[in-house]
Amino acid sequence: MKRLTRVTLTLAAALSCGQALAVTRGGQLVYGRYADSLFLDPVLNDANLDIWILTNLYDTLLQPTTDGKGVQPGLASRYSVSKDGKVMTLTLRSGLKFADGSALTAQDVKWSLDRARRPDAGAWSSSLASISSVTASGSTVTLNLKTPDPTLPAALATFNAAIMPQKLFTAAPGKNDAEKAKAFAEKPVGSGPFVLSEWKRGSYMVLKRNPYYWKKGEDGKALPYLDSVRFEIIPDDNTRILKLQAGELQGAEFIPLSRVAELRSSPRVNMTLFPSTKVNSILMNNRPTLNDGTVNPLSDVKVRQALNYATNKQALIQVVTYGTGKEMKSYMSSTTPLFDASQKGYPYDLARAKSLLAASKFKNGFDVTVLATSGSADDLALLTALQQMWGALGVRLKIEQLDAATKTARYRANDFQMRTAAWTNDINDPSQITSYYALFSNIESVHTGFKSAEIDKLFAQSQQETSRVKRASQYRAIQSLYLNAAPIIYLYETPYPVALAKNVRGFVQIPLGNNIFAGASLEK
Amino acid sequence: MRRGMHSHYVLKRLLQIIPTFLAVMLVVFLLVRLLPGDPASAILGDRATADIVERTNRQLGLDQPLPTQFALFVWNLLQGNLGDSISLKVPVLRLIGERLPVTLFLTVYAAALGLLLAVPLAVLAAVRRNTWVDALIRGVFQVGLSLPVFYVALQLLTLLGARLGWFPIGGYGSGTLGHLYHLFLPALTLGLNLAAVLVRTLRSSVIEVITAEYVEFARAKGLRPRLIMTRHVLRNALIPTVTLLGLNIGALIGGAVITETVFAIPGVGRLMVDAIFGRDYPVIQGLTLTFAVIVSLVFLLTDLIHARLDPRTELS
Repeated sequence: MKRLTRVTLTLAAALSCGQALAVTRGGQLVYGRYADSLFLDPVLNDANLDIWILTNLYDTLLQPTTDGKGVQPGLASRYSVSKDGKVMTLTLRSGLKFADGSALTAQDVKWSLDRARRPDAGAWSSSLASISSVTASGSTVTLNLKTPDPTLPAALATFNAAIMPQKLFTAAPGKNDAEKAKAFAEKPVGSGPFVLSEWKRGSYMVLKRNPYYWKKGEDGKALPYLDSVRFEIIPDDNTRILKLQAGELQGAEFIPLSRVAELRSSPRVNMTLFPSTKVNSILMNNRPTLNDGTVNPLSDVKVRQALNYATNKQALIQVVTYGTGKEMKSYMSSTTPLFDASQKGYPYDLARAKSLLAASKFKNGFDVTVLATSGSADDLALLTALQQMWGALGVRLKIEQLDAATKTARYRANDFQMRTAAWTNDINDPSQITSYYALFSNIESVHTGFKSAEIDKLFAQSQQETSRVKRASQYRAIQSLYLNAAPIIYLYETPYPVALAKNVRGFVQIPLGNNIFAGASLEK
Repeated sequence: MRRGMHSHYVLKRLLQIIPTFLAVMLVVFLLVRLLPGDPASAILGDRATADIVERTNRQLGLDQPLPTQFALFVWNLLQGNLGDSISLKVPVLRLIGERLPVTLFLTVYAAALGLLLAVPLAVLAAVRRNTWVDALIRGVFQVGLSLPVFYVALQLLTLLGARLGWFPIGGYGSGTLGHLYHLFLPALTLGLNLAAVLVRTLRSSVIEVITAEYVEFARAKGLRPRLIMTRHVLRNALIPTVTLLGLNIGALIGGAVITETVFAIPGVGRLMVDAIFGRDYPVIQGLTLTFAVIVSLVFLLTDLIHARLDPRTELS
């Protein structure tokens, strides 16, 4: 047995070695995006269009692992946390440089983190709020904390904690930080694997290889393998797919799930479904009355549970996601750290749904209106299927289609009864989605109006809990409490559908959504 | 008409554009603000807290009363400043400067292809009127007219682009030849649509002219048929077509919105769509003003060409 293991290991090593030697360097990978980036500043902006490519330009002290479960070393080769949890010490790698060849120092780190944690520095400053001061000396960066913060390693691996060159940024034209950020973001210089070399807004963007990038490839030489990445902006799904099939692109994002099966059988395309943190649900207004004063049946927990049980997730996964989705068992995705695998979700059970509704004040059924995004084929497919499913309970679902900005405005004013919603994490920690979905103090629990003193207490404890085991049990309790209260309709998790040319290797879209081109190569 | 009168007329028409311009400005300014949803909602998305929305509105000056905002908009405009895009953080004027030439190129290209198709086919249909040739030409264009632009676009793209590989699938290319090559399919899409409109009018005006007495007279005089067609028939038959073409330039720019999306062309059409969905007020305002100016200028040009083709027209 032992020998067999040894032989297997040797074989595996030989195979991986053979693979390592086979990596091809050079070339340009052309990647089709559905829309262009907006503003390449990591601090003042958090649109997915930007942050999903930003880590290619700016590096962070730590990096999210590709499975989305933890962090790995980045610009800092190691870190340690003091016993009382109130001091974090990071050691920078030696010889770090920005893409212009200038040295990346501990002072740049201090300046970048100080800029990112200013309370007026965008929505994300709160992820670094536990830091009371940053000191830099030699290659050591020390973070002094107000309270122990178990989320800090993940926060330091998040886009807004990117390290920027202080000198270049402050030398950019502009009277204040916002103006300098605008100027700097036109031609940003970071220490990521690539550097922006050309950008024609709305048309294309070219990222050139950063010759000073610290990370080594499988061949022992510095990454990235590619000479450049070119993003082509192609808003139409069909055009993106046609261009890929014609060989004009080597990668295309956001393939409609309805086309996945067809592309899987295409000989030229490697249709990949990257695991994501995306959860799709229907948010319900839990308040006793709606904005116009009418009585809201969704305020009754039995009604909310009944609707959840009456939702046939497996059928929806077939109809809406063409079999690519996965039943949602917790409000957070199964790829989120501390997701509790023992969560049951709401398995389809029409009899139970009927008895729950019969026990509620609305046993004769009711009308309910859901806000959908106009033009979204997925929303329509989902909601027409739900009309039928809930019709069996006597619940009459009305669909109101609105454009995204109007839908958001109505939602923010709590002027809705139900709405379709999707979420992806931006940080490898469950605290982000929990603070939005389950805490009233943030945005009224995604505007559902749901409130739970118990969850509030558990969450506050978990934010300072340094034992992973204890934190996991706190999160198990939060997920169970939330499931039972059912402020939302649990639907499904969906992957990131990316179509790649057959010769593309090593490209990853991590569960947070970041597109990682550092290890991508074009094989012959 | 004397040359002096001509330039006097042009000047008068240009001056008339100014009140139109002011009206468009006010209407657009108010309309975008009447749309439900606001820039802060659009940029910040579903996750924004009330504090952040309020701060963003303050930074954008959207917390000011409407008259103040309008006064500031006009004041900036007088200095040639259309403001910065809210989502892209760059001057609107620069965005328009980058994108407008693309759309204009496409529009002119489409108009040229449309005319190239429409004029010979309409003449052919008129000359062979009520034969199978006429029926075929009219039938094909009638079908073409009833097909939606995005459908035609997709079919052309799939057949001539993906299947046969004759043309690139979308994009703008570089250099004039590159643009001509890359924009052929989108220009053809728009051109076909335009040709369908023009063929009907042009055919009936050619028939009308062909049967006119002065043409009969020319024929009786023994003039060569080709000469009759170019000098007498087409010149007169084109007059209503020019007006129609001018009126359709606006529609062409409108059609570019869909075509630019399908063919991934970085023009103003797509910019406008993105700006509306993103409630990017300065971009919407800037683009609408630009469209208003273009359409006014095209109408002026149409009238001038009309006058040139038909000396009976009085420019006053």
